Amino acid sequence: MSTAAANLQLQDAVFVMIAIVTTGAALGVVFLRNIVHNALCLVLTFLGVAAVYFQLNAGFIGLVQILVYAGAISVLIIFAIMLVMDKEINQTNLPIPSLGRRIAGVYITALLVITLVLAIYFTAWPLATGAGAPFDAVGMLAELMLGDYVIAFEAAAVLLLVAVVGAVILAKGVEKQ
Amino acid sequence: MEISLLGTEILLATLGFLALVTGLLPGRAKSITGSMSLAGLLLILVYTIAHFGEEASLFQGIYLVDNFAAYFKMLFLTATLLVSLGAGRYLERFENKKSEFYSLMVFATLGMVIMASAGDFITLYVGLELMTVSFYILTAFLLRDGLSTEAGLKYLVLGAASSAILLFGISLVMAYTGTTVIGATAARLMTEPAVVAGIVLLAAGFAFKISVIPFHMWTPDIYQGAPTPVTNYLSVASKAAAFAAMVRVFMVAVDAAPGLTLSWNLILAILAALTIIVGNLIALVQEDIKRLLAYSSIAQAGYILAGLAAANAYGLKGVLFYALLYVFCNTGAFIIATAVEVDSGSTAIEAFRGLSKRSPALAAIMTICLLSLAGIPPLAGFVGKFYLFAGAIQQGYLWLALIGLIMSMVSVYYYLNVSRVMYIEKAGKQEPVKGSGAFRLALWVCALAAIFLGCYPAPLSNLAQQAIQLFL
Amino acid sequence: MESLFINLSQAFTAWLMSLGLSAGWADALLLAVQWTCIVAIVTLNITILIWLERRVSSFFQERLGPNRVGPLGCFQTVADALKLLTKEDIVPSAADKLIFKTAPALFIIVAVMLYAVIPMGDGMQVVDLNVGLFYFISIGSLSTICLFMAGWGSNNKWSLMGALRAVAQMITYEIPLAFSLLGIVMITGSLRLSEIVEAQSGVWFIILQPVAFLVYFIAATAELNRGPFDMPEAEQELTGGAYTEYTGMRWALFFLAEYTNLVAVSALMSTVFLGGWQGPWLPSWIWIIIKTYLVMMVFFWVKWTFPRIRMDQLMSFSWKFLIPVSLGNILFTGAGIYFCKWMGWC
Repeated sequence: MSTAAANLQLQDAVFVMIAIVTTGAALGVVFLRNIVHNALCLVLTFLGVAAVYFQLNAGFIGLVQILVYAGAISVLIIFAIMLVMDKEINQTNLPIPSLGRRIAGVYITALLVITLVLAIYFTAWPLATGAGAPFDAVGMLAELMLGDYVIAFEAAAVLLLVAVVGAVILAKGVEKQ
Repeated sequence: MEISLLGTEILLATLGFLALVTGLLPGRAKSITGSMSLAGLLLILVYTIAHFGEEASLFQGIYLVDNFAAYFKMLFLTATLLVSLGAGRYLERFENKKSEFYSLMVFATLGMVIMASAGDFITLYVGLELMTVSFYILTAFLLRDGLSTEAGLKYLVLGAASSAILLFGISLVMAYTGTTVIGATAARLMTEPAVVAGIVLLAAGFAFKISVIPFHMWTPDIYQGAPTPVTNYLSVASKAAAFAAMVRVFMVAVDAAPGLTLSWNLILAILAALTIIVGNLIALVQEDIKRLLAYSSIAQAGYILAGLAAANAYGLKGVLFYALLYVFCNTGAFIIATAVEVDSGSTAIEAFRGLSKRSPALAAIMTICLLSLAGIPPLAGFVGKFYLFAGAIQQGYLWLALIGLIMSMVSVYYYLNVSRVMYIEKAGKQEPVKGSGAFRLALWVCALAAIFLGCYPAPLSNLAQQAIQLFL
Repeated sequence: MESLFINLSQAFTAWLMSLGLSAGWADALLLAVQWTCIVAIVTLNITILIWLERRVSSFFQERLGPNRVGPLGCFQTVADALKLLTKEDIVPSAADKLIFKTAPALFIIVAVMLYAVIPMGDGMQVVDLNVGLFYFISIGSLSTICLFMAGWGSNNKWSLMGALRAVAQMITYEIPLAFSLLGIVMITGSLRLSEIVEAQSGVWFIILQPVAFLVYFIAATAELNRGPFDMPEAEQELTGGAYTEYTGMRWALFFLAEYTNLVAVSALMSTVFLGGWQGPWLPSWIWIIIKTYLVMMVFFWVKWTFPRIRMDQLMSFSWKFLIPVSLGNILFTGAGIYFCKWMGWC
């Protein structure tokens, strides 16, 4: 066996491990009954996605994933849980939906997942040619974000402002007169 | 690059910030926000009209300045202007959040403008989110009203789900083509399962925004719960924005793809037919004016979708023409509904009883707008539907045109039912419905546009023709 | 002396390869040895640090501090560590067991991971990531989750309050923390820590970016949950915050992780603001140790000088003061860079 092939196999093995952890955590987000466990599983899912980015040599995006999603978004989710929590800390379980709804949910999810998996599996994907992205892609990303994609970038800034304004409006509630 | 090409966007962003900042002024000084926003919007509208006809492809096709985008920009600005003018005394319900209301309206408009001009999927998506997030907040703007809060939450959850579907579609298309630029995808799209799945998901994402059956469930609840001016804006402008983006994506990427054999027209035609039928039938039994207009707007979206399904000169021209006249007619109806709601505190159709005695002008304008929506000649709606159905017939979808025609007849029933209540039933109160000068101005503009465009459609029709030229 | 450790590691690799291992395996083993060394040094260093902090604090408070075990009490922490190791490990019966047990381990793992990118001397870096600085910030943000897990898992109101405070505080101060470093990234044009060190061969960034240094120092104090921002622990009101229910070794792990974080942040500050390992006469790795210890002394000094501030003051201080200041610093730096280019200085 050549070194390159062995390397590829190692890569595959790592990917499978990451995939198992990520998917398992994602299933945990959906199926665990304790909402805080859901949130923590979500963190694990985000980290798994970040690991996939690292494996794809997209280190910067992977770190953004960790900083923004695992480090910040999930914390906000946890905050939201804390703020709307019931009296008992350990009784934050979601109500169990009716059987009919569960069957409908499972059916639709299975339909979507199977369709998409089959669609993706039977597609002849055009594989990328050439050397791929350079390892030091941060500069390139910056050029793209502040160059060609500047309008999307600026619009995203306005979007964040709108979200902050909205959060303040909704969180402040009705002012007493 | 000429910065003036992005004038509309930059001016809108500036106006939005200014509206936020002037809201922080002390005491009575902050009341300038309203008039400043209206003046600013008018100015930007004039600017956009003056720059109609400019063509440019910025950032390697990522942002497009063309007639199509310009047409829709004018449409959005007109809608924002009319809605803000017509909101009138309803604004008092927003208490100390009036400046935020104007600011969010302007930012939502900015999002729509970006959607209409977006030449790639990422820009399109960010524009869409800017618009939608503004609407989430605007929908929940009446903090004292449980219905409004509920509507806001529902819209947030369902909107996020639909965004996810849209993004998933985008990611599949992008993964296959290796580009996010809509214009560049066409050449690389092939008939592959993943591509088809991606396009179907894209269509589903857009279908949610324009509330096509079976993605319409959110519409009635949210239209009913949201503050009435917001409902109005949601129904006319956000739908038009989604149509603008959808037309561009489907005409530039999907329709023009040589390697893709997908009868997307037929899928859209079937969806359109379903939407027209279900929307109109459910509207028949509504007793709340906002729910009635919600189902009517679902049906109207079906008509417009028929034009896109036709995907020919008549059909596309119909889409553009109809989208604009829909702004005028629907806004007219909503402005009166707002005034009646402020007057009576109720959104039931019953609240319109005897409006013809109390305020004959309002009753007349309401009837004109509703009849125009139903497509009765010589009002604008008739011309719009004529283009749309002509397009469908030309494409070979005679059945679709027939369904549209029959369901238009059905729709006359529930539109005229409102008139019946206004003209025949007796009023509880006698004094006329109050309204400011701005409110009257907006109403007259809507009514006159509905009549004028119906009698003399040539100028707007030509404009629409110019706008769609790039797809033919 | 200068390249002592580099020569050691090269000799180690050469020895492994002479045993017939491939280059990849030798590198992997070297990495393992490096990590073991880091963990060992960190752990041993803590005993010194704790002793140092106790001596320093007693000096500030005009008392004696530990002085019984060994000369100047320098074996006191060793005795404490032995005591902690033998203490009973209590897991509350109402605790969320898995979360309760994993939290301290994760906390220390995250803290040790920070050391991967810090240049501990000329060429002495475990990995010279191209996004090293960003790696430091984003891995550091994960410790928030660990503290939350500790507070939640304990199922105790003080723990939960402490965890909530910690989470709120850390997420708030992450923003000025990251923003303050942006000015330096703008000047060097790189996130690679080795390049940031090289860029300071002329003048240290504390001279060019004094505001960023102050903002970073304050934000880092809050990130480390150290006084005067030690609200999450706040012994007097929360009886120890997130750590209330922890005993024995698990509690010690938290303590260890906090000091590990402190050393890492101090090392990063010396790397980013104080010229890193650069310095005359002495070998590079001694210089970074000196600088790191100096920065740590300042942390001690601040902690034992200022009283703890209130939670709401803490939050508004970040949102209303530090964030605007750090944003202003970015703007000012950008303008400065343009001015330099326009004048032809750089």
